Amino acid sequence: MAALGRAALLLSLGLVAYALVGGSFAAWKRRRRLALSAQNALLAAFATTLVAAIVLWIALWRRDLSFVYVAQHTSRSLPLGYALSAFWGGQEGSLLLWLLVLTGYSALAVWLNRRSRDLVAWTVPVLGGVGVFFAFMLCFVSSPFDTAAAPADGAGMVPSLQNPYMLAHPPMLYLGYVGLTIPFAFAMGSLLARRSDERWIVATRRWTLTAWTFLGVGQLLGAHWAYVEIGWGGYYAWDPVENAALMPWLVATAFLHSVMIQEKRGMLKVWNVTLVALAFCLSVFGTFLTRSGVISSIHSFSQSPIGGWFLGFLAIVIVFSVGLIYLRLPLLKARTKLESLISREATFLYNNLLLVALALTILWGVVYPLLTQAVNGTTRSVSKPYYDFFLHSFGLPLLLLMGIGPLVAWRRASLRALGKTFAIPAAVAVVTGGALLGAGLGSSLPGLLAYTFSAFVAASIALEFVRGRRATGSITRLVARNRRRYGGYLVHAAVVLLAIGIAGSSAYQTVRERSLQPGQAMQVDGYTLTYESLGTRQLQNAQQTSAVVDLSRGHSHIATLHPGKSWFPVEQSSSNDVSIYHDPRNLGDVYTIADGIAKNGTLDLKVLVKPLVNLVWAAGFVFVFGSLVAMWPDAVEQRRLVERYAALPV
Amino acid sequence: MKRSPARLVIALSVAAVLAIFILYTSIAGAGTPQISPSTLGQHHGEDVLLVGTVVGHVAGNAHAGGMRFLLKDDHGTEPARTRVLYSGSVPDLFRTGRQIVVEGTLRDGTFVAKPGSLVTKCPSKYTPAKSNT
Amino acid sequence: MTLALVLGAALAVLAVVAVARPFLREPVTASDALDEPGELERRRLALAEERDQALYALKELEFDHRTGKISDEDYRRLVGPLRRSAAEALRALEPRAEARHARVAKPS
Repeated sequence: MAALGRAALLLSLGLVAYALVGGSFAAWKRRRRLALSAQNALLAAFATTLVAAIVLWIALWRRDLSFVYVAQHTSRSLPLGYALSAFWGGQEGSLLLWLLVLTGYSALAVWLNRRSRDLVAWTVPVLGGVGVFFAFMLCFVSSPFDTAAAPADGAGMVPSLQNPYMLAHPPMLYLGYVGLTIPFAFAMGSLLARRSDERWIVATRRWTLTAWTFLGVGQLLGAHWAYVEIGWGGYYAWDPVENAALMPWLVATAFLHSVMIQEKRGMLKVWNVTLVALAFCLSVFGTFLTRSGVISSIHSFSQSPIGGWFLGFLAIVIVFSVGLIYLRLPLLKARTKLESLISREATFLYNNLLLVALALTILWGVVYPLLTQAVNGTTRSVSKPYYDFFLHSFGLPLLLLMGIGPLVAWRRASLRALGKTFAIPAAVAVVTGGALLGAGLGSSLPGLLAYTFSAFVAASIALEFVRGRRATGSITRLVARNRRRYGGYLVHAAVVLLAIGIAGSSAYQTVRERSLQPGQAMQVDGYTLTYESLGTRQLQNAQQTSAVVDLSRGHSHIATLHPGKSWFPVEQSSSNDVSIYHDPRNLGDVYTIADGIAKNGTLDLKVLVKPLVNLVWAAGFVFVFGSLVAMWPDAVEQRRLVERYAALPV
Repeated sequence: MKRSPARLVIALSVAAVLAIFILYTSIAGAGTPQISPSTLGQHHGEDVLLVGTVVGHVAGNAHAGGMRFLLKDDHGTEPARTRVLYSGSVPDLFRTGRQIVVEGTLRDGTFVAKPGSLVTKCPSKYTPAKSNT
Repeated sequence: MTLALVLGAALAVLAVVAVARPFLREPVTASDALDEPGELERRRLALAEERDQALYALKELEFDHRTGKISDEDYRRLVGPLRRSAAEALRALEPRAEARHARVAKPS
């Protein structure tokens, strides 16, 4: 069966290579049948890659230990769900997942836009080119179908991966990362086809939005997983691999905004193609970071040769994009110019600059160790203080801008009208800030500013809904007729929730550690935690030891927590089992970690009280909802677009 | 039509970003060096990130009196062994043979670690094991 | 093992058929030229986009005015030129309507 998998991947490689070479020739020499043939090759590549994926899934299902990959990432006692998710638990499988999503997306995107024949004729080879790299890696460098004599049992799955969030996190991320390939390919295709219209933006708008949403949700899932499973009390540690997903997401956010300007005002054409190329490059760079071991990260393993290949591919992509954009600069002349520094266009421009600046400073922080190593031999690295500084410097103005943007009109805003619309949100912000200051929250300036700006943005968004409703009569009609704008406002509301949650749980958290004997208690921020007893129980593939801890406030019992540790005999390692109480009073958590459980029963208990942290997860739901509203098809708009491009033979 | 202020905005923004950047790096210093046990001797008294592999027996309690272990270079056959004294949270994956990173200072022959700064590198992909606060 | 062989062979055949299909369906064809928008088409498309941008800007202006973001005097000042540019774009598209069906295909 492994042979079938290998053969399927070889077929995939052949098909995408044909799409690249045949497709380029067809587009260049304007051969219709060859172009169609290259297009079919791309579609067929999805089918062959799917077959390879199914072969791997069946091998994982059956725990076929003759597959080296299966032996390395599963064991006989591993629950089925996790065994199947081991598909993306290792290097080779995750590359196959990437190729599967890539060919799937490519097939769908090309199929949906098949009527735009000259654009698709050039997009197909670009997609084929990207596919060739991943298919080549899977066939000759890092294959999931290597076989060997089957061992007695597999190595098992690292305990911290045995968690529902880890089932969903990598696929979500990949649906996001790989999704950024589509707008990139269409943008490059449009340039190659020497088109100066916005067809590529119209064709890829929902793709970009979808990929961006998946990437955001994937990161939240990862953060939540780290929070509940790794259990150090936080959800983001500025690890290079975490940053690897954040950077393309920030650039994609900038792109989503600036592309609106190009659609409406015909400006920022060069900026947009550069941004989409940057987003794609960062997503390839991101996956390179995760695999290559070139930057010391807790996620990376020993120096892997695969890094060199990725770097080579990245170099080719950069040279190709920069070269093509440079050659087509005359096509990308703006139709209009920025009229005023106080206009919605300008606020979008500021938002873009801040987002890209933040992404670049994170990139600098990530590659800093490499640069210092190359320059003077010692590896130096930056950590949380560096990232926090720039998150505050760029993130807080971004937050404020989210509230200002909607209040400003297109082209040029009159200061008087601005003053009137600003008045209420500004007043809300000032009052909130004053009240919080009075309540003692001045201990953290960034925290206070985050809360105050959030109040400003929340008021601004609420007013938009109120004013809009007054203008159209009902909320449903308002949203239905202005899906992008109001969907966008909902997404902004989600970001506000996120900002409040992050500020509360980091700037205003309380942390205490004590060693307790059974019967002893500790006080944290008004809560009393009493260590009562120790217990053990047997899980399917682990032995769990946990402490029974009583949580009370004053004299009233609130909950019983069970922080502990689990020992996994097959994998020969232990995992931290944190116990979290979600307090409805402050939407926060009481987070307990059994740092150490001694043989004589002494418990080293670490307690974190994190106010408002549950807003971070709630934000995820609002985020998805807002995104769905924004991308929901609008019949009127669809008709207009069809009419616009219908008369074109291509 | 008015001349486009867009270029001015971009130029000023780039300048502002650079200014913030330079300000930060000059005040906060340029990162923490990553040192392996064989070269640690040259950094006596400095705040560094010690990178190495745990060897030998792990003694003591990280929550009571401190955990003690020896660290060697990740790669190569240098005989240097650094004594590390660590207190604070210990990640699940920590044990003899694992690669770790810990922040601290070399004092009188023992590397005194910053509490809670121990990070264990995972032996396979996608598996972090942190103990940051 | 034989199952794998059969499936593999079937997959290979399917792949080849998919790729060869355009040539199998039309072994001989009058025109194998891949159409691309000619000069006329490109200009029409640009005008259509301009028209849509002008119409959208008008819609946004109305909405911003109704929700109080643009004062009455600013609205009066801006709506005139916008309506004119929208009308111009609409007018410019009219004669193109006949040219719509004249396909300009470049010889390969």
